Amino acid sequence: MSGKIRLNTDWLCDCGGCHVAIVDLHEKILNVLESIEILHCPVMTDVKDYPEAEIGILTGSIRTEHDKHAAEEMRKKCKTIIAFGTCAVYGGLHGAGLAHSREEIMDHVFKKSPTTTTDTIPTVEVTELAKTVTPIDEVIDVDLYLPGCPPHAHFIFESLKTLIENREPRVTQDSVCARCNRQMIKGDAKELKNSLDGVPDEKFCFLSQGYMCLGSATLDRCLAPCPNHGVACTGCAGPTMQILTEPYRDIRTEVSDRMARLTAIDADTIKTYMEKTAKTQYAYAMATKMIGNKPTFLIKKWIADVEAG
Amino acid sequence: MGKVLNIQPVSRIEGHARISVHLNDAGNVDDAYMSLMSLRGFEKFIEGRPAEEVPRIVNRICGICPWMHHTSSNKAVDGCFDVTPTPTGHKLRELLQVMAHINDKILHFFFLAAPDFVLGPDADYSVRNVIGVVKAAPELATQVVKMRQLGQMMIDRFAGKAIHPIAAVVGGFSKPLPEAERQAMLKDTQTLLDFGLFTLDFAKNNVFNKYLDVIGELGVIKTGFLGTVDRADGSFRIYDGKQRLMKPDGTYVDFEGDDYLDYLGEHVEPWGYGKMPYAKSWDEGFSLDLENPKGIYRANTLARINVCDQMATPKAQEALEEFRSAFGRPAQATLLYHYARLIELIYACERTLELLNWEGITDTDVRAKVEPKAGRGVGIVEAPRGTLIHDYTTDENGCIEKANLIVGTTHNIGPMNMSVKQAASALIKDGNYDQGILNKVEMAVRAYDP
Repeated sequence: MSGKIRLNTDWLCDCGGCHVAIVDLHEKILNVLESIEILHCPVMTDVKDYPEAEIGILTGSIRTEHDKHAAEEMRKKCKTIIAFGTCAVYGGLHGAGLAHSREEIMDHVFKKSPTTTTDTIPTVEVTELAKTVTPIDEVIDVDLYLPGCPPHAHFIFESLKTLIENREPRVTQDSVCARCNRQMIKGDAKELKNSLDGVPDEKFCFLSQGYMCLGSATLDRCLAPCPNHGVACTGCAGPTMQILTEPYRDIRTEVSDRMARLTAIDADTIKTYMEKTAKTQYAYAMATKMIGNKPTFLIKKWIADVEAG
Repeated sequence: MGKVLNIQPVSRIEGHARISVHLNDAGNVDDAYMSLMSLRGFEKFIEGRPAEEVPRIVNRICGICPWMHHTSSNKAVDGCFDVTPTPTGHKLRELLQVMAHINDKILHFFFLAAPDFVLGPDADYSVRNVIGVVKAAPELATQVVKMRQLGQMMIDRFAGKAIHPIAAVVGGFSKPLPEAERQAMLKDTQTLLDFGLFTLDFAKNNVFNKYLDVIGELGVIKTGFLGTVDRADGSFRIYDGKQRLMKPDGTYVDFEGDDYLDYLGEHVEPWGYGKMPYAKSWDEGFSLDLENPKGIYRANTLARINVCDQMATPKAQEALEEFRSAFGRPAQATLLYHYARLIELIYACERTLELLNWEGITDTDVRAKVEPKAGRGVGIVEAPRGTLIHDYTTDENGCIEKANLIVGTTHNIGPMNMSVKQAASALIKDGNYDQGILNKVEMAVRAYDP
């Protein structure tokens, strides 16, 4: 047992998919187990407390006091904390809690749903929902970030190897386009299409054909499975480094400029469409301050505009 | 004053839960709860989004069974837009969903449940896990890892993403199945079927026979059952069919998914974020009382095996006959969920082969034409953890106006609470308990695979 690197993992508010992704290292997991000893890992072991460990993997975001407490315990006991998966890094899909208050959500789920026959909101035995959903680095210090929904096995294995071998990770900061087989050409589309309009040509870039695709604004932690299987990217690994680091660049400015260059559609038309569908375009990363604090990001206004008609 | 035992987190399950057992002064169980600790609120935040995007968003409700959310959501949007998928698109969706069931059963049985049986419920907690299984039975463990890889890679290769899939679309499927890929899948699925049959045999000899006394006692309660069966002949189905709601005495009613509001209600207690569905149509209200439960039914493997008239594939039917002759219909023992899960594993492999051999499966007409519009659609499939219901209403732009979801696990929250209380009351006496006993209380939950 001695000499192995000790690993704790925990899941906060998430779907569990990141932990399945770790299991899905398949034969490589047996490989990893030669160098790593798994301690606290609720999906796999019955270790209920948090032992000391070299590596701590946290998936999911902070939704309740319980999540916050678990993150703090992990920080105390683990030397290196990895924010694993898009929820941990950016808040994830349920970061859309930002667009709706927790009261609205509770009310909807426990009172307004057509099947619910009681008029009770749970208050005992449960920990209260935080006001908004937050990425874990708003609660604890994070050493390494691995976004992805879930991250592809290639990146998971590389990051674990990096820690086992005590070296720099060999990963690039390319966008999803880098792994996409489609060719970017200047197309003649005059109107924006939604994913229901016909079947896109599999040889060419979605943007060139007038279909919305977030691949060029999204960090590659997936090896581009969606555009290579006929479906446009929806940005589940979160934005590229350029978008995160420059205050006046964001997903819609980036994609609308590029798409306008590749089609006959006006950039403003594209930008307006993306504002109208902001909950979809910013689905995965709206809860991070790196997006939320941008002067160009006005999601509450955009949603209000849509609701006002 | 009595005391409260908290088991948190409940481990080797697929969600976030806590068990609390309330003991009285004498150290006997007064009450016991299993509460879900998390709430995200997808029903609310998919509002306003273009409905055709939703099947890729709601996957994230569950990373263990994302395919089921993907297909039921697509079926619901088909309903909203009044579109019928092409026959091939329909079958490709079913194919991928059934394949995903194969991997799920392998994951649950070997990674989550097996440590209790291979190493024993009282084995030390530090080794009672899949890594302990790897050490105790390395050849079996390597085989399990390989089989799971085979299953996941089959999905990955053809559909791009196994976790959080994208390949099913409103009106059908995003791409046709190439012949070469079909051939490869046939070969791999045959291997998986052989492994499934081996697993069922292994479990019969090493688990179900060995632990018959535990099976007959642990977490046993008496409830009704809900599942999906073939519209024509009542056979076991997981992708499409009619709903069957069975009473504890074995009598049942069948209904179409669109009418689910007439049959099911959801009850909320102040002590957990999970809502508890119950059979509203039985007109007896809701109660978790162990002696006299009201409105309580269960979903997931045991329920499906109980409600169906027969399995639609030969080897699974053989297994069902053996199961029924031993345990009757409906079987109530909670640990039989594991047995039922393995019968489903056989079905899922056989059904995959059937679909791959269907003459139209490689047809290129995979996607019907779709126009966004106002409407309502109810999409129901069987997720590994139970009947999964997505109910959407769209506005004239085809955006979600409102949504109601009942996910598989929630059907069993009430019953899991009953099983926990039953197990805790039977096992904890006069203040005596140890970690083996507390693990057995968890096993009563684990069987449901929440």
